[in-house]
Amino acid sequence: MSNEYLELISLNVWHWVATIGNLLILTWILRKLLFDRVKKVLAERQGQVDGLYQEAEEAKDAALKDKTEYEAKLSQADAEADTILKKASARAERRSDEIIENANRKAEETLKKAEADIAQEKKKAMNDLKNEISEISVQIAETIVQREINEDDHRELIDSFIENL
Amino acid sequence: MDSISITGAKIFFEIPIFGGIPITETQVNSWIVMAFITILCLVLTHDLKVRPTSKRQIIAEWIVEKVTGLVRGNMGGAFISYAPFICAILGLSAFSSLSALLGMYPPTADLNTIAGWAILIFGMITYTKIKTSGFLGYLKGYTEPFALFTPFNILSELGTPVSMAFRHFGNVVSGVVISTLVYAALAGASTLLFGWLPGLLGKIPFLQVGIPAVLSIYFDLFSSCMQAFIFSMLTMLYIANAASKD
Repeated sequence: MSNEYLELISLNVWHWVATIGNLLILTWILRKLLFDRVKKVLAERQGQVDGLYQEAEEAKDAALKDKTEYEAKLSQADAEADTILKKASARAERRSDEIIENANRKAEETLKKAEADIAQEKKKAMNDLKNEISEISVQIAETIVQREINEDDHRELIDSFIENL
Repeated sequence: MDSISITGAKIFFEIPIFGGIPITETQVNSWIVMAFITILCLVLTHDLKVRPTSKRQIIAEWIVEKVTGLVRGNMGGAFISYAPFICAILGLSAFSSLSALLGMYPPTADLNTIAGWAILIFGMITYTKIKTSGFLGYLKGYTEPFALFTPFNILSELGTPVSMAFRHFGNVVSGVVISTLVYAALAGASTLLFGWLPGLLGKIPFLQVGIPAVLSIYFDLFSSCMQAFIFSMLTMLYIANAASKD
């Protein structure tokens, strides 16, 4: 080993070659050991992030689809409920109409029957009254004339009298 | 007072071929720096995970992204494959200069180191120019704006690597020179001021404590990083410029 030194400013072509070689070797080392490795990891991460984004996008789409379906079903259900309600209310109305009609009819029938009964009763009462009046008249006439009058002649007479009332 | 001598790299031995290839501190220290950067890479990229859990990985990603961003910003997306090269220049230059902090001879203080880089970059600039406009177009570029300018164009073309090399070399070596001078001057001043102290006490160079550290912060820390950055910026701009057709 010598103790010689280069001049402060010296030029040596072999040193240039060595330096260029060093720089190129270091470039290769950095490319292989630093850049390629880090870029690989970065690309992997980017891939994962892209995947996650895609998954999120898909999940969002699915959720939206579910939501539309759900809403459609809901409105359908609403409509169904509406028709059911309408049907039910229509039936109820019809039923109530029927009931009222029946009641009216029954009431009318009852009324008519009552009227007929009353008329019959009236007629019967009239007949009874007629009979009684004729009997009373016969008794009164018997009492007045003190003699037996043919009851049938009398009845005829009184009936004609009553008819003429 | 001792005489001050400022020399280049120490020659360890010569390989006795091609008229002797001297192996100097520059070579050895360059290899040490390269080995350091390689180990740094291995440590930083050890066990990389898609979800980073270590600070090492974050630093590695930061370096890659910063350098890639720098290259993309200055050279455009077409030159993105130059990123490791730019990173190598940055790393070699910065760590070579910073090695002075450990008392090593910085390889960047040897003109041969920077000259080698500048020659390589000159080759890349020329290659890019020829690739962009063809060999004839490249030659024609020297005659623009008209034939009279040809000598000046050749001068300016050759001036590019020379100026790049001397800018970097000059900045580093001036730091070495000034540090050495100040160090020697402080030793002398120390002897004058405290030499009367008895025995060993008189031989302690008190003034050498502190003041050189301030210089070291500028020349070794700041200037090292600055020159590395400037050199790689110029590299990117020259190469990108060579690719533009004007």
